[in-house]
Amino acid sequence: MSASRTKFYLDKQNAKWSGVCSGLADYTGIDVTWVRVGAIVLTIMGGFPWTLIAYFVAAWLADPKPRGLYESAEDAKFWQGVRANPSRSTREVRSRFRDIDRRLSDIEVYYTSSNSRLAREIDALRDPAK
Amino acid sequence: MEDILVPIAVVGMLFIGLPWVILYHITKWRTASSLTREDEDLLDALNDTARRLEERLMTVERIIAADHPDFTPHRGASQPDAAPLSRSY
Repeated sequence: MSASRTKFYLDKQNAKWSGVCSGLADYTGIDVTWVRVGAIVLTIMGGFPWTLIAYFVAAWLADPKPRGLYESAEDAKFWQGVRANPSRSTREVRSRFRDIDRRLSDIEVYYTSSNSRLAREIDALRDPAK
Repeated sequence: MEDILVPIAVVGMLFIGLPWVILYHITKWRTASSLTREDEDLLDALNDTARRLEERLMTVERIIAADHPDFTPHRGASQPDAAPLSRSY
């Protein structure tokens, strides 16, 4: 709860150099290899000084990723989705709650109907005693 | 005439069109991901609650299904079919 999960971090655990490419991969959810290949291709294809400058600026500005930022891989994936499209993630969470609500109401209906049957049986047993 | 027009068009595209496109996408991206710290914490809490509720509900459904064979839990598309108790959801 302490560190923001929508910030860009340097991923030092999977770093090759400073962790910018792996951080970018972690941020977007794209595979690290593709990010690195893309960065190298961009550098060769005429972005020569600028990509390096951007790399060092990013390495200088961004903080390293705090340990234990995500509890699980699922959690990391969820936050990647949030960074890409927060409203879609919010709708997904809402639909999960609706699913829970629907399933709970199924249980409720099942129990109330079976309990009313039970209540009728108890009443039927009680009636002759009166 | 074309010797003058083509470089002007190219320079215009490079120095006006390209930054325009980049800035347009940056602003769009900024507005799309304007999630404040409170929103983030709230979303995290909601996601966590949903996950735990789903786990509990799954347990409850399994218990009910074991007690009452005529109760069939209405499974969503996201859940794989009936698994034993050791399920990593």
